[in-house]
Amino acid sequence: MQNMKRMKNISGSISKAALLLLALALFGPVSGQEVSGQDTLRTFGPRFGIDLARFLYILADPSEIGAEVSADFEIYKNIYPVIELGYSTISENEELFDYTSGGSYGRAGVDYNFLSRKDRSVHHTMTLGFRYGISVFTHSIENVVIPGGYWGDYLPEPYENSLTGHWLEIVGGLKTEIVPNLFLGWSLRYKFLLNPDMDPIMIPALIPGYGTGGENRIFGFSYSIFYKIPLFKK
Amino acid sequence: MKSRILFFIVSILMTSCITVEICDESYESELVARFKTRHDGAPADTTVSVLTLYGIREGKSDSLLYNTKSASGFVVPLDPHHVYSRFVLQINDQTDTLVIPHHQEMYMISYTCGFGNLFTINDNIQSSSGLIKSDTIIKEMIDAEYEKDEEHIWLYL
Repeated sequence: MQNMKRMKNISGSISKAALLLLALALFGPVSGQEVSGQDTLRTFGPRFGIDLARFLYILADPSEIGAEVSADFEIYKNIYPVIELGYSTISENEELFDYTSGGSYGRAGVDYNFLSRKDRSVHHTMTLGFRYGISVFTHSIENVVIPGGYWGDYLPEPYENSLTGHWLEIVGGLKTEIVPNLFLGWSLRYKFLLNPDMDPIMIPALIPGYGTGGENRIFGFSYSIFYKIPLFKK
Repeated sequence: MKSRILFFIVSILMTSCITVEICDESYESELVARFKTRHDGAPADTTVSVLTLYGIREGKSDSLLYNTKSASGFVVPLDPHHVYSRFVLQINDQTDTLVIPHHQEMYMISYTCGFGNLFTINDNIQSSSGLIKSDTIIKEMIDAEYEKDEEHIWLYL
């Protein structure tokens, strides 16, 4: 009477991380490069970034599409308030159901730069910080089949739910100024999901901005390019 | 340069760790019933010498779930297409029709396995003859994960 079903699913999350690390190894600013041609004044202004890792993720898992932008500003010596905004969608056709999830997210927090600098005109940073993240998204399933040997297969109605996810992050990373005001940087994030039981029927396969909803703690990577608008010097 | 080499090695190691997930779970939510008798008002286990059991399936022919000698109970899947499951029991030479009302909602077993049905048994279990004298619901919720020594209803003979 036991209807045993065997399915195979190759996880893409590990390959995503591997792809990102490979890109970092080949192209990343692992060690700081000195920027020539600057004066001894330090420039200040908002710095805007875009996460390039999102585009690499598409190569590892074409079903997941997203984009993320960020902004920070050194409001006080070595203190950088940060805002990150993005969206993400996933669409997967499994053997026994079709799943989609998508929505927008935002993160806000502060980075602290603990890289000592000999020259005030050097803007490389090595930061540690935190974020609070919130994601507003909708996930749904359709074409669900629950196999049943004796009574026959059962086909439930499609299901959809609008959800809000909350999480905290510890973030560490590097930013290197490769030419004046243009930065490349990566960050490693450790995320703590605050409301894992947001949907009693179905665990979200993707909480935009967080990752897999089935994991209460998860690592994340980002690899971004930034441009700082040098509004003033002092 | 050393850092780049280290990143490259880690990348290769992680790529080699891709896993293959396999589903070994059952999808059918099964009711576990035990036969009982009363001795001085207290329930006691009992065993029947012959048990024949099948479900009443609309539009389908009868198909035996049990045809056995010596049974202390039975394990049967519940009907997800109706708000009740109907079974015909034949114990020794007596026959009874057991109607178990329930409602259900789907739940996720896992992303690898998909979904299962979570049934909740209602308390007005009915039988058509005097073979089953009364019943007690021990555990009203039934999912697809069968646990050892799990019992859902007692049927008093």
